[in-house]
Amino acid sequence: MNRLSKKLVSTWAEQGPRFLPFADVATADLPLSRLLRLSLFQVSVGMASVLLVGTLNRVMIVELRVPASLVAVMISLPLLAAPFRAMIGFKSDTHSSALGWRRVPYIWKGTMLQFGGLAIMPFALLVVSEGGNRLGGPIWIGWLGAGLAFLLTGAGLHTVQTVGLALATDLVSEESQPRVVGLMYVMLLVGMIASAIIFGALLQNFTDGRLIQVVQGSAVMTIALNILAIWKQEARDPVKTREGREEPSFKESWDSFIEGAGAIRRLIAVGIGTMAFSMQDVLLEPYGGQVLGLSVASTTRLTATLSLGGLLGFLLASRVLGRGGDPFRMSSFGALVGIPAFSIVILAAPLQAPVLFFCGTFLIGFGAGLLSHGTLTATMNHAPEKQRGLALGAWGAVQASAAGLAVALGGIIRDIVNGMSARDVFGRSFSGPATGYSLVYSVEIVLLIITLWSMIPLIRRLPQRVTA
Amino acid sequence: MADNDPNRVWPSGLTTREAEELHDGLKQGTRIFGAIAVIAHILAFMNTPWLH
Repeated sequence: MNRLSKKLVSTWAEQGPRFLPFADVATADLPLSRLLRLSLFQVSVGMASVLLVGTLNRVMIVELRVPASLVAVMISLPLLAAPFRAMIGFKSDTHSSALGWRRVPYIWKGTMLQFGGLAIMPFALLVVSEGGNRLGGPIWIGWLGAGLAFLLTGAGLHTVQTVGLALATDLVSEESQPRVVGLMYVMLLVGMIASAIIFGALLQNFTDGRLIQVVQGSAVMTIALNILAIWKQEARDPVKTREGREEPSFKESWDSFIEGAGAIRRLIAVGIGTMAFSMQDVLLEPYGGQVLGLSVASTTRLTATLSLGGLLGFLLASRVLGRGGDPFRMSSFGALVGIPAFSIVILAAPLQAPVLFFCGTFLIGFGAGLLSHGTLTATMNHAPEKQRGLALGAWGAVQASAAGLAVALGGIIRDIVNGMSARDVFGRSFSGPATGYSLVYSVEIVLLIITLWSMIPLIRRLPQRVTA
Repeated sequence: MADNDPNRVWPSGLTTREAEELHDGLKQGTRIFGAIAVIAHILAFMNTPWLH
């Protein structure tokens, strides 16, 4: 160790604990203010995902004139990191640390990756845009930079979310977990909605400089929100994390995790349920515009309606599950709500009834809220104490991969079917643009039925009433 | 964590090993932020070459 390092090490040791980010003790129950602060990491995750999937998607195609196929590749890059969430969770479960931390080092690393990706992203996007390579240097550097930016941001947000949720599970008692899940989802939604509005307003008069300000500003916000979220949250436990202790390998840990009662079935339910509620994600707005003739302003209200449904779903689920309700009964109820919701949306086309469409959209949000709250609460409830990171990582890996796959599949099915119906393959009555959309919504109904079927064995039996 | 542990330095109460781990984190962060800054500068130079 060189002299500067030695000096700095002694500086850390001499600092008062007030300036060090450790929690003094693990309290039995967390005050709401501390929980609210912890949930800020979800705001940063929501902000980054809106930026990648929503704002930059549009900016790259419309303002920067990047070819749409390359934009699609860029946006799908963060998904590559999703399957590694189980591994990230496992790593944090088995982390060795003299300080006694398991979660904070990973949230910090994730934050740095997310920050790094967002910090280089605007320059990379400008270089690959039309006429953006003013130096005339090799353009592959621009592509590499853009790919790296999206990959780093994706890896960062998946790490932060997985380990952040594991930390939240560590901190609260089982009875409080539904309240925490509700709060985490609401904060994710708040982050997404607030960022979408702020990014939209800031980028209205688009300039290269403004793009740099907005994206790098969100990088700084990532650091600020995540430091605020994890500051003095994780209590130190050097015995649990001491170096040289025996820990199972990832394979051993995974094998013992999936041997747990219903573990595989729970993951299947999460995967199919998420797919069922995600395929329409990028199709609702064009459906409103193309099939029902809604204006841009009305389709924006659609997003608000969907979010409102989701918000009410989270609130109801938090209330019911907080009183000891069964999470899988709640999830099944969400899937049950989804079936009429998608049917109403399909019916809105032949009836040309935008009101029905808005009702259906609200119910889709509501059902999705109940289902996601229920499955995450169940994951937290069933997570073995030493495998919380792994359990939440597996949940996140399945959920994020299923959502990405479903969005892609939804778009592909719509395009193929609409192409065929335009050529009158299905006959005159199915020749309109509604055919492709309706088929996607029908597939979602089928997926919801499969989800319900897969969840039946997971639902707790209600105690039988004893009759005299 | 006993207060009379001779390996701990007060007022932080950290051992040398713990302070080293904290410092390792700082070094790693500096490297990552440094690498990010280099990449960002290369891309920014390609976009708007300065002193040209």
